[in-house]
Amino acid sequence: MKKIISVFCLIFLFSAIGYCKIDLTTLPERDRVQLTIYNSADLTFVRESRTLTMKKGDNRLQFSWANTLIDPTSLELFPLKDADKITVTDLFFPPRITGLGVWNINSHISGKSPCEINYFTSGISWQAYYLATLSQDEKTMKLDGYVKVTNRSGEDYENAQVRLIVGKIHLLDEIAMLARRYPPYGRPIEVIPPDEQGRREQLFRAKAAVAGAADRVVVKQIEKEGLSEYFLYTIEGTETIPNNWTKRLLSFSQDKIPVVNFYKYEEERFGKSVIRFLSFKNDKAHNLGKEPIPDGLIKVFKIVDKDEHLSYIGQDNTKYIPVDEDVELNLGAVLDIKVEPKLIDYKTYNYNFNAPNRNISGWDEEKTYRITVSNYRNLPVKIEITRNFPHQYWTIENKGDFGEYRQIDIDTVRYTMEVPPNTTKQFTCKVVLRWGDRQH
Amino acid sequence: MKRILVLAAISGIILFSNTSHSRTKLVALPERADTVIRLDNPHFTLVEEERVLTLQKGTNQVDFSWAGVSIDSDSICIKILTHPKEVNIISVSYPPGENALVWQIYSPQAYEEKIRISYLLRSIDRLITYKAVADKNETNVNLQSFLVLRNFSGEDFSRAKILLDYGEIFEKSVAHEETKQMLFLTRQNVPIEKQLTFDARVLPWEPEKVQGNVGIPVTYTIVNDKKSGLGDCGLWGGKARIFQDDGHGSTIFLGEDNVAFTPVREKFSLYIGDSRDIVVTQRKIKDVMVNIRKNADNAVILYDTDEIMKIEIENFKDSPVNLTLIENIPGQWDMEETSHQYEKEDANTLKFKMDLPAKGKQTITYHYHRRNVR
Repeated sequence: MKKIISVFCLIFLFSAIGYCKIDLTTLPERDRVQLTIYNSADLTFVRESRTLTMKKGDNRLQFSWANTLIDPTSLELFPLKDADKITVTDLFFPPRITGLGVWNINSHISGKSPCEINYFTSGISWQAYYLATLSQDEKTMKLDGYVKVTNRSGEDYENAQVRLIVGKIHLLDEIAMLARRYPPYGRPIEVIPPDEQGRREQLFRAKAAVAGAADRVVVKQIEKEGLSEYFLYTIEGTETIPNNWTKRLLSFSQDKIPVVNFYKYEEERFGKSVIRFLSFKNDKAHNLGKEPIPDGLIKVFKIVDKDEHLSYIGQDNTKYIPVDEDVELNLGAVLDIKVEPKLIDYKTYNYNFNAPNRNISGWDEEKTYRITVSNYRNLPVKIEITRNFPHQYWTIENKGDFGEYRQIDIDTVRYTMEVPPNTTKQFTCKVVLRWGDRQH
Repeated sequence: MKRILVLAAISGIILFSNTSHSRTKLVALPERADTVIRLDNPHFTLVEEERVLTLQKGTNQVDFSWAGVSIDSDSICIKILTHPKEVNIISVSYPPGENALVWQIYSPQAYEEKIRISYLLRSIDRLITYKAVADKNETNVNLQSFLVLRNFSGEDFSRAKILLDYGEIFEKSVAHEETKQMLFLTRQNVPIEKQLTFDARVLPWEPEKVQGNVGIPVTYTIVNDKKSGLGDCGLWGGKARIFQDDGHGSTIFLGEDNVAFTPVREKFSLYIGDSRDIVVTQRKIKDVMVNIRKNADNAVILYDTDEIMKIEIENFKDSPVNLTLIENIPGQWDMEETSHQYEKEDANTLKFKMDLPAKGKQTITYHYHRRNVR
């Protein structure tokens, strides 16, 4: 489905306004094409080089893109050679024709001239996703990172250099909207265009939901580098991505990543459940740290026996992880670790009564919790218990096996402890909350 | 579709006899000579066209009609150019129910008379767009500005001068319903300042509690002055797309934002995207009431507070970063102690500007009292 067609035609200048599409001299194929695909927006930056045959004087290049998702406001043409001799004088979108633009080019030379045509398209996307396998002792993990590129742009891209951008880009308009808009820059008084393309795209989306189409693992190198606030992945060699196809490529594979299994308990965030987390750091000590890890879905498995049979633990959408940052994967609620706070003592005292009407103006509230932490697993675990208070006027007294205690901010405290396999630990915390004028 | 027509006709001498004047006695249908489409007003487009009329001695009738074209009829002016002292406009009349007007022009003798008709034309306007390509170090950009003429006025123009109040002037033909994009301004090596801004009034304080990353907005700022190679005139607002040289002969697209109209000496900022390599965690670590005043009922009526804010900033990039933190303290306040200097943007807004080294970590604390809280 080659839908982008460049027609190069020669028209003497003063014929003006009657746009004839004849006098065809060449129909140049793409020499090279580079796709830079973004994942934070439906946007791909396409750079293609084509060799045009120029005549001395005025030339016209007609570019049409019917049934593709190209943003016409992004179209750009420039000569790669002889830039001083070839001038692109304007780009116009002729009346009452959709999906067509024409460049007027003035050339002081004749013959073949390499030119670059750039534009944005929507409909090509990429996604990072990960498969993680924990070792049997859960101390290390193997992490395979993949990228999946899907082309639903309406155009086939053959032998394209594929580059993927990780980063959060700021856009004013959706490229898909710009691609559908006619006229390309809208009208002086905005008229809403017929939404035929929109329906077409919805259809694509519906298909996208079911399609896991044509996965194929190719072991290719992916070059990685930082640019501005983005990270650029350049896939080795070229790829042909026909319309409606998906390609999966291995981005990296790393074994023996030391991981920390830990669990969090915080009623205000997770309710009464204990949530399992898996943490590691994107750094050299963890055999990583060569590049940021883009956000994507991670599925975590565990090796259960000597034959390396697997068991599925859970999945999470990872954040983008810069180099040297910690990763915390939320693997969901578990039943084999329990944290049970129980209110075992309750008192109020130190009442103040204000002078004129002897109403209560302040008091202290003392709550004693016994917190039971149980590890029913055959492995040692690390548990983080976070307690939040209604305000900053409190004092605390911890007793027993509470591990490491730390105040996080004015109304949050945290206990961190290691619990050996099949062990239960207990501690008490007595919190005195001051209310009313006891706070003064 | 030429819809704007000028017909010069001999109308006889009986000036007021004809309310229903026949426009049959065609003398000339003068072609447009020079046409100017002036786009310096973003909301109204002024068209000036020059035509040569063949005037007879005596009173001539010149019809100007614009069926299917949106001309603001009150804006139409005619200017006599060749013999302005001798040739006079006697009257202007508007025939009922028509997009037309009739000039009665008196000429003392037969003249080939050049006139200029000007009017405001609707449904024709322009957009300004920008393209900026930053160098790899993000210190300057090559800036291009495009004029996009959108002609949906109903009228075709051939060889019209198309101009703004600055930049290149074009002479182009533009058809009805045609959109034309022209490069009208190019400036090389325009300095930019890259800035990251954490606005504590808007962004979440604890990124660990947020699903996904907290992006810190990144902006490029350009000053419209001579030092930037600009500063000749105010820059019109429009959509800017920012690219960056990738060092391999190609570019990547960094983002897009609207340029606001920028007068000379002023600057504009382009928000290109968010950085996820800078992590800012802000926590209040102290907040107590002090200096409490009570009324006769022992109720608190006035107090001060004692508050400490702590902000941890981590740069995970291998390059230094300019970061601005915007903090807000409501009401009346006194700063007791601060780990970093700040600028007071207004009564309640503090700006901490800092250079974060590559892979650097910094902690800002500030200790303040809010005063006379009721």
